[in-house]
Amino acid sequence: MKQFFDDMTAKMEAGLLEKNTARQKFNLEVTRLGQRLYSGNQRLALCGVCAPFDLLNAMGINSCFVEFWGGVLATAGIANEFMEEAEHVGFQAESCGWHRAVLGAAIKGMMPTPDIMIATSSPCTGGVAAVENLAQKFGCPLFVLTIPPDDSERSVRYLADQFRSMVDFITTHTGETLDGGKLKDAMNKTNQAREIALEVYSLAQSIPSPVKGRDLVSVGLTMPLFLGTETAIEIAQAYKNEFTARIERGISGVPGERLRLIWLQEAILFKNPLIKMLEKDYQATVVVEELNDIYWEPIDPGDPFTGLARRTIAFPFNGAVERRIKHIKKLVQTYRIDGAINPCHWGCRQGTGSRGLIAEALKDLNIPVINLEVDCADSRNFAEGQLRTRLEAFMEVLGSISSERPVEIGGQACTI
Amino acid sequence: MYYLGVDLGSLSCDAVLLDHSGKVLATSVVPTGARNRDAIARATQEVLKVAGISEREIKATVSTGYGRDRVEGRLSAVTEITCHARGVEALLPGTQVLVDIGGQDSKAIRLDGKGRVLEFAMNDKCAAGTGRFLEAMARALEVDIEELCELDRGASKNLTLSSMCTVFAESEVVSLIAEGAEVKEIVAGLNRAIAYRVATLVKRVAPELGGLKVAMSGGVARNQGVVRALASTLKSEVSVPLKPDTIGALGAALFARERML
Repeated sequence: MKQFFDDMTAKMEAGLLEKNTARQKFNLEVTRLGQRLYSGNQRLALCGVCAPFDLLNAMGINSCFVEFWGGVLATAGIANEFMEEAEHVGFQAESCGWHRAVLGAAIKGMMPTPDIMIATSSPCTGGVAAVENLAQKFGCPLFVLTIPPDDSERSVRYLADQFRSMVDFITTHTGETLDGGKLKDAMNKTNQAREIALEVYSLAQSIPSPVKGRDLVSVGLTMPLFLGTETAIEIAQAYKNEFTARIERGISGVPGERLRLIWLQEAILFKNPLIKMLEKDYQATVVVEELNDIYWEPIDPGDPFTGLARRTIAFPFNGAVERRIKHIKKLVQTYRIDGAINPCHWGCRQGTGSRGLIAEALKDLNIPVINLEVDCADSRNFAEGQLRTRLEAFMEVLGSISSERPVEIGGQACTI
Repeated sequence: MYYLGVDLGSLSCDAVLLDHSGKVLATSVVPTGARNRDAIARATQEVLKVAGISEREIKATVSTGYGRDRVEGRLSAVTEITCHARGVEALLPGTQVLVDIGGQDSKAIRLDGKGRVLEFAMNDKCAAGTGRFLEAMARALEVDIEELCELDRGASKNLTLSSMCTVFAESEVVSLIAEGAEVKEIVAGLNRAIAYRVATLVKRVAPELGGLKVAMSGGVARNQGVVRALASTLKSEVSVPLKPDTIGALGAALFARERML
């Protein structure tokens, strides 16, 4: 895997010289992160999705959520052999592909050996089990962050205290200490990146949107890994510059944009033709993914643990589905969405369990939802023909609705 | 001027030919087989022959079905969901819920009563309860697929199959025969199993059927036993249009005509 990240980084660096897009900058930083994880020159923490990575960055700990491997392997088109490895030792083929991939990578000896592991009870219990499993395999100490489902002051204090305990845990097991000045600096950088990201998402809301294809795929999910560093600021700035330029030059992400879509939960990361088909055949563009959003307030550098706790609790997948639905509704309205695609990631019990509630809630806003049945990491279960039919029929339904929807032309309502 | 609709499905390839006024001149249903192009050519030639016209006289072709992108010379490709909705509206106006069971998938479609799709639900990757499923069961029962339609008559024992997996259900049918179960009871059990499965799709798009006009299309709609079981399960009348297996192709042909007018 180290070689893989080295090769990918070299390839991306060369590519960046040629094209220099924000997405390439983002991809390059992802592969550089991969290199760091295998470098062995810093202590390593493997974590759950909701760990405070800016805090870990401030402590000089290389860190990443374990699902990262599933994402990288799926994107590279090589996840299946790792998932099969996990299945050979008894992990159910119906369980989450992200976790099967990382467990398979560990079994194959392709994972770097962490110094510590930090599980997070949000967004899913499957993630906690995967991290615990890996901690046992590597024989390394495990810290579990229990994230409360609500943002009451008591809950915020409870989580902030856990972060303090986590810092002690890290110091005990790695010898790395937390420097107040470095933490303050990291929080300032986090806030800077946040401000720019807000502008990026605001630009993405434009009609037509400057967003196309895979521009922002999984950016919201992955960006936290770079928070607290210059890298997050640079990535956000690259997107801001690119989208601003497109808007100024009148370039629409998808030429002739007709339909604006929201993609719920996570993206399908292995190679597939669906997004291109939506764009080319229906001028439909995924303008926002559910997690591509700034859902948290700036963090007070004078009281970072409280701010980090508030941010972590505010994660849309944390707590009751009602919170997630509220967040999706907000995105639907701000991005002026025509339809929602819910991949219903196989093996994700909470994702699948909430699909009916989400569809019902969006019905109130007259937003149709199409539920797919895919594992976003596992191409072996990708029934392309059937998924194409579902999506194409969904586009036909949206097309017939939008053709009857009154639109504003020159300030006057009319029907197109 | 003539308009052609071609529905290339997994089991059959269907074609419908319309004249300039929208009147159906000919329909054909041929097995898809292994070669899609041959099936398309055979289905097309059949309707041309019946109507007595040449291919050059076709003004527009719209394709549908899982192989819709393989139909050459098409004006456009439209999904079978939209085409079935359009086709059934032509024959059974005012339909609000349409169940389409084809060779390898089943769908429940909620319509606005004017042929427009409001919502739909499809089966997942499993082909249980579709035409392929019935083919396998007919094989296990050693009867012709056409015979299955009436073999449930007189059944009274409410026999239940424990599995809808095509492979396991086939084994179960063989076991039931070995145990002496009557064919009519087994067939009625199969029909109910299909109906229960499709009813879950119907519930997704129409939680309350109360008074909605329900219809069924697709090749399986020719099986009156399944239609009866579905009507009983849904507690609703289920109408079946003439030649239900050609409804998708009819919808496609109607789109071809509308788009050229």
